Amino acid sequence: MFEGLRSRLQKIQGRLEENIETASAGAEPASSPRGPAPAEKGPGMMDRVKVLVTDREFFISEDDVSEPLFELEMVLLESDVALPVTEEIISLVRQNLTGQRRKIGESVDGIVFSALRDALMQVLGDGFDLPAYIRGHDRPVKILFTGVNGTGKTTTVAKIASFLKKNGFSVVIGAGDTFRAGAIEQIDEHARRLGIKIIQHQHGADPSAVLFDAVQYASAHNVDVVLADTAGRFHNRANLMNQLDKIRRVMKPDLIVYVDEAVAGNDAVVRAHEFEKSVGADAVILTKADMDSRGGAAISIAHTIGKPLMFLGVGQGYDDIMPFEPAAVIGELFGGSKENA
Amino acid sequence: MLDRLGTSLKDALKKLAGKTVVDRAAVDELVKDLQRALIQADVNVKLVMALSQAIKTRSLEEEPPKGMSVREHVLRIVYQELVRLMGSTGEVKLGPQVILMAGLQGSGKTTTTAKLARFFQRKGLRVAVICGDTFRPGAYEQLFTLCSRIHVPCFGDPTDKDARKLVREGLKAHAGTEVVIIDTQGRHALEADLIQEIIDINAISNATHRWLVIDAALGQQASEQARRFHEAIDIDGVIITKMDGTAKGGGALSAVAETKSGIIFIGSGETIEDLERFDPDGFISRLLGMGDLRALVERAEESISEGEIDVNAMMRGKFTLRDMYKQLEAVNRMGPLKQIMSMLPMGNLELPGEAYDMTSAKMAKYRIIMDSMTAAELDEPSLLSSSRVQRIAIGAGATPDEVRELLKYYKTMKRALKGVRGGQGKFNMQRMMKRFGGM
Repeated sequence: MFEGLRSRLQKIQGRLEENIETASAGAEPASSPRGPAPAEKGPGMMDRVKVLVTDREFFISEDDVSEPLFELEMVLLESDVALPVTEEIISLVRQNLTGQRRKIGESVDGIVFSALRDALMQVLGDGFDLPAYIRGHDRPVKILFTGVNGTGKTTTVAKIASFLKKNGFSVVIGAGDTFRAGAIEQIDEHARRLGIKIIQHQHGADPSAVLFDAVQYASAHNVDVVLADTAGRFHNRANLMNQLDKIRRVMKPDLIVYVDEAVAGNDAVVRAHEFEKSVGADAVILTKADMDSRGGAAISIAHTIGKPLMFLGVGQGYDDIMPFEPAAVIGELFGGSKENA
Repeated sequence: MLDRLGTSLKDALKKLAGKTVVDRAAVDELVKDLQRALIQADVNVKLVMALSQAIKTRSLEEEPPKGMSVREHVLRIVYQELVRLMGSTGEVKLGPQVILMAGLQGSGKTTTTAKLARFFQRKGLRVAVICGDTFRPGAYEQLFTLCSRIHVPCFGDPTDKDARKLVREGLKAHAGTEVVIIDTQGRHALEADLIQEIIDINAISNATHRWLVIDAALGQQASEQARRFHEAIDIDGVIITKMDGTAKGGGALSAVAETKSGIIFIGSGETIEDLERFDPDGFISRLLGMGDLRALVERAEESISEGEIDVNAMMRGKFTLRDMYKQLEAVNRMGPLKQIMSMLPMGNLELPGEAYDMTSAKMAKYRIIMDSMTAAELDEPSLLSSSRVQRIAIGAGATPDEVRELLKYYKTMKRALKGVRGGQGKFNMQRMMKRFGGM
């Protein structure tokens, strides 16, 4: 994940720097005290020249960066960062860049880097440490998984169960997807393989009841964590969203985790927003990140609902899940190119 | 947000309305809005750029056909280019065939397999399915449950891990069945061993069709994934799933472009009947978040064939009752006046209110009255003396007052037209005509 975005970003950085360098090169003659020519170019130039002569600094103008910024925009869009989010990032970078004064000789990439990095940092926010969260809360910690169809909720529940088990927590799974054919069999098989207790009712049962039972079981048996799977549902189906709301009222989850796929495009933003609005979300898990090295959906979703990204699903095995650390990711995103510079 | 997008597109179209020559700035604006709409719909960014370039060039370089306004001209180009993007509409033949389903994890292959089985079953064919998903727990149970609800035989074995063997045996078991659908495990392009597996299954089954199932929400990845699948097993059709959400399915267009195939079905719900044949026009409307584009284009084209209205005669100031009759007729064919007006380029032109305050009932009445006129009267309204009015009223089952009202309406229209002609030439006569005629 993110490798694609990284290599593209590096290219853009090169371009941004180039343009700013040429801008500064063009302005350089003005720094010589006997060069009156630039002053005649217009009143706008006066300020620039003054700054240039007295402070030995120059302005970065909007024109200098507009073309590379357009390219940056394309890169973000091609990386599945949703359009509104892309536009916001671009305007942030533009704001950070234009109007800035730069000392002659100061490293150009420093400016470009910090502008991009700040913009992305602002968007990605902080990570989420699940084991620490569980340790810091009363047992059982109830975690509800929501999301649209086919994003990988059930597989993710299995992976998280395995992850928590390895971290020394006891886990019970509630088979809350009572709708889709084969869903109960699927999670039952996962639980069997992982050696984890599962609470299930028959197909078509009320998911609230199943999950309530799972919570009851956990309280009675001192289980640390309840993982509540649910059926996939679209955010525009009022009844299904109401059902989810009922589940929330009945099992009173400590954490609501919204699961979506890393390959989702612009709709990721729409549905994340709707889920957040109707049942809430405390953290996000992105699945299928191994399909996509761009990671745009991560940026869009995080930006839209402002909730931390907890894990990335990166494969079909139980261990194919990794905690998401934004600082590390951003470091990685820009790290490679720093050496080039 | 989506509605806003549609509105801004409409606004951009409206800006073209008042123009007599194609205005570069207006086209630029339209193209920009179009780009936004398509990118938000997850259409591949490169495709969008190529498309908008084509639209821009064609709009500015091609001469609008005679009688077609600038707006309609551009609208038609936009529509044509979008249709081209859709690729061919995939054909479904109702005969013996083997269909291999392919796609990413969680795209909805298994559900779609069952829906397809139902589709062919309803067409009166004997259908069977093979569960080739040996990886995901519960995959066989899911397919088996769905199929048993519609009494379609399902071959599979949840304990067997060899998909190739299952497919081979399944085909043998279902020999003599007309349509065999093979469901496979979800896989993505980077999983080399799984890609090899589906290449083998394709070879073993000698599948007639290899359909790629694409989640409507799939973003820019769609191109890449479709390309790899296409390289592996030569995809010849695309099915979009989960169109009942808010996703626009633009990713499927990227897939179509990569595989040079067409979209065949659309999955739009959780029950087994929720499978629709692909309808390009509905899809385009959804992509752009605006009304039926084709209907608009068709209306525009219709209005050209309505060439019987003698524009030149009108330019010379000859607007007869006969012309008005044709206009009323045209309006009648196209539905409620108000609705048509709302779709029309209104520009900045002010008309006497009564010109379109007319109800459709009144319009029908006017036509009946005019039916009772002689040809000479229609061509030369000044002939209409009081006795003629009396005769027409009796012939049309109307009162003389109604006939006079019609004449008054005619005069208003005529005056309005004259006024336009007398203006500073800032109005387009043809557009004016269409406006009166309803288009």
